[in-house]
Amino acid sequence: MGPGLAGYIIRRLLWAVPVLFLISITVFAMLRLAPGSPIDAILGQRYTEEQAAVLRDKYGYDDPLPIQYVKYIGNLAQGDLGVSTRHRDFTASEIIWPKVWISTQIGFIALIIVFGLGIPVGIYAAMARGTFIDPLTISFWLAIEAVPTFVLATLASWFFALKLGIVDLGYEGVWSPNMIVPIMVMTLPGVAGVARFMRASVIGVLGEDYIRTARAKGLKEQTVVITHITRNALLPMITVIGLSLPGITAGSLFVEVGFGIPGIANESLQAVLAPDYDVVLALVLFGATLFVLANVAIDILYGFIDPRVRVGAGRGQ
Amino acid sequence: MASDVSAAILAPEFSEPEIAAPRRFRTLRELLRKKIAVLAIGYLLLFYVCGIFAPLIAPYGLNEQELTVEARLQSPSSDHILGTDRLGRDMFTRVLYSARTTVVFTIVIMISGGLFLGLGLGLLAGYRGGWVDTAIMRTGEVLSGMPTLILMLAITASFRGRINSWSFWLEDHTFLGDDAKTLVKFTIISMATVPFAWLGSSRIVRSQVLAIREQAYITAAESLGAGTPRILFRHVLPGVMPLFLVGLSSGMAGIAGAEVALSYLGLGIDDPAASFGNLIGDVNGSRFFEQYPHLLIAGAGPVILFFFAWNLLGDALVDVFDRRQNQRR
Repeated sequence: MGPGLAGYIIRRLLWAVPVLFLISITVFAMLRLAPGSPIDAILGQRYTEEQAAVLRDKYGYDDPLPIQYVKYIGNLAQGDLGVSTRHRDFTASEIIWPKVWISTQIGFIALIIVFGLGIPVGIYAAMARGTFIDPLTISFWLAIEAVPTFVLATLASWFFALKLGIVDLGYEGVWSPNMIVPIMVMTLPGVAGVARFMRASVIGVLGEDYIRTARAKGLKEQTVVITHITRNALLPMITVIGLSLPGITAGSLFVEVGFGIPGIANESLQAVLAPDYDVVLALVLFGATLFVLANVAIDILYGFIDPRVRVGAGRGQ
Repeated sequence: MASDVSAAILAPEFSEPEIAAPRRFRTLRELLRKKIAVLAIGYLLLFYVCGIFAPLIAPYGLNEQELTVEARLQSPSSDHILGTDRLGRDMFTRVLYSARTTVVFTIVIMISGGLFLGLGLGLLAGYRGGWVDTAIMRTGEVLSGMPTLILMLAITASFRGRINSWSFWLEDHTFLGDDAKTLVKFTIISMATVPFAWLGSSRIVRSQVLAIREQAYITAAESLGAGTPRILFRHVLPGVMPLFLVGLSSGMAGIAGAEVALSYLGLGIDDPAASFGNLIGDVNGSRFFEQYPHLLIAGAGPVILFFFAWNLLGDALVDVFDRRQNQRR
């Protein structure tokens, strides 16, 4: 990695700062100006003005908005994500990180399955190009992609738990067999996207001269597919994998709600509805930061794997 | 199906009239040779026609309900071809009106988010370059990496409290009457979706513009003194359009899906108006499905096919363009 790359990365990271600020201001203002307030959520329907004033003072909601924002950013800079008003007496960090961890483990398993299925399916479809197998395979996965997660969750839990009776669905931890159906529901709709991308990538590689050379020198078809086609076709896949990595920390809302998993997506829905200002803000900023970092990491990775990629000049065009 | 398409393209005796034929409808004709694409287009046309003419086709009123035990949760019969829901409302009628919601929503988002923002910002970023480009693309990058659903929820939730006052005002002061409530909810979910609807298409448009900008005919137009708007709309836009449409059709299922998801959570279109989201929400659940499978199939089936058709169409379009690019090489 030369000086060009370092400069490029620094520029990318610097660009992220104003964007993150913009996001934080927008979400901050949106939350504060919305009609609902954490005070209502805490005190319920009936409360006296004194009770509300005490709480407003406690959480600093009686300051003007710009001051509140500056205070928030000041605390954030020291690593303090604020307090959760929905779970009183807990800080936002105490609420968020354990749940992020649950969702991340599930998301990681799901990610491995999605790519583990999608990549072979894509290669298979591409190699079968020109026959009816190719469109049939892709259409099959596109059909599954079309089913909304909350419908798929119902169908899968009906089939496996009620009809076949082979699994229980209650949440008993991430590594319990009860997670099989939720993870299936989470992964199957994602296969089509990966398969289509892989298929296109393989088809691109198939037209290259070195494939013809490999075949011409009499290599076994298996060797050509694995070492020549797959390895080269996987290269653009790095971007797709990299960009889906930050997403796994966010969890899948409908899977978590549908199967009662105490993950972060479930919490974010409740935090938005409550509203729980600091938790929502922390989650949004966390997601955005991870995404920026993932983008930069992908660029660095490309520089190592493929020296042909000249970062700064050709990339991002 | 795909094999005869490629055969037709590869065999010279078939490709000759291709070249002579007007370029304008080439994409459409290539697409129509794919049986899958024809089926998808056919279903989408049916869906849009049913949605637009829902009030004319529907056998019952949207909220005509009958709360007797016999009338509720009926199985399909000649009176109610898809059965009735918990409130004894005709399922077929509600499906038609839900299709109407989806139709209006996709058109609104396509025009505002896809055409206006996606095409506009993509053209701007690609043609202007420099800091405008960087600002647009970085913003898009971060937006696309955000927890979209959470932000959509935050947007809808923060406006939802005002819904009632807005819709009462509209009911009293405009001709809208009862439709005002639905209109306001509609506006809110659109506002929650549009910020995310332009990301994919603008990226496609930008990369196309970057490629086209280097072409000799753009330089020629510039040296002849053509202004920026003229160059953009007369010279750049026609080249951008095809791939833009590909991107739009691939993203369509996702856009329509956002409305269904929000309505399912009770944050989008809700009773008494109909959307596939609240329709499915009403009849979802594995125990309920075991007893009344036809209700979930009737409620979810049409919209699943709708997503599927857009996915297939997008895929077929990508295929047509990929093949064309491979041919050029």
